Amino acid sequence: MSALADLFTLVMVAGGALLFLAGTLGLLRFPDTLSRLHALSKADNLGLGLIVLGLLPQVGSIAGGLKLVCVWLLAQLSAATASQLIAGALHRRKSGR
Amino acid sequence: MPENFTPRHVLLTRGAGFLALWLVLMGPALKDLPVGIVAAAAAAWTSAFLWPARGGLSFSGMLRFLVRFLPQSVAAGVDVARRAFAPVPPLQPGFVTYQTALPAGMARQACCAVMSLQPGKLPVAAEADGTLHIHCLDLREPVAEQLAADEAAFCETLQDGGRNG
Repeated sequence: MSALADLFTLVMVAGGALLFLAGTLGLLRFPDTLSRLHALSKADNLGLGLIVLGLLPQVGSIAGGLKLVCVWLLAQLSAATASQLIAGALHRRKSGR
Repeated sequence: MPENFTPRHVLLTRGAGFLALWLVLMGPALKDLPVGIVAAAAAAWTSAFLWPARGGLSFSGMLRFLVRFLPQSVAAGVDVARRAFAPVPPLQPGFVTYQTALPAGMARQACCAVMSLQPGKLPVAAEADGTLHIHCLDLREPVAEQLAADEAAFCETLQDGGRNG
């Protein structure tokens, strides 16, 4: 059972790392600032989600698991808010307001 | 009574919620508790300015929303990853406009934040009349239908269906 949990953790955390790599690649390769924001906010959120999911079988207590999920939720919230703010600032600068 | 007045029992419930969140994040050590209570009180006080007292959430709507949001969130990440790893990133970025029924304020901003986590879309600005300017990674996708579905799913999470800000 614990070998299965370990395998799950390995697969999920590796998948999460791959998505962080994708987010970084997008940041470097996408053509404009707004497209790069897409890459960062979406790929990294899923990457963090997979890592949290993968680590859940390894936590010793319910409190630890709740904490991991809360960290993921807060990161989602801040990523969505930050990308909104950056996109809005960029839009205002472009339209000269 | 002013429009944005938040009753005391609502503030207390919110404060308890914030304290619970703080306890989950920081651990239930008795010597840390005063800091948590101060932080929860400050958060509840701030929420009075940001979240209208009548802006209740519908639990079943939230569940339906989550069932839709989580797979979409996965699709968004995979979509970006696919484009980022492609030899030539298949992108056709550009703007679309979308008319939202949500009034300006908390609900509209939250809806925009949710949309920004969905595949290929990033709201960048909102006009006073409810026109949203949305940046898309690929204009070849059926963006308008997706946006309408996103907004409908979001409105279901609000008890009043998004009629109040």
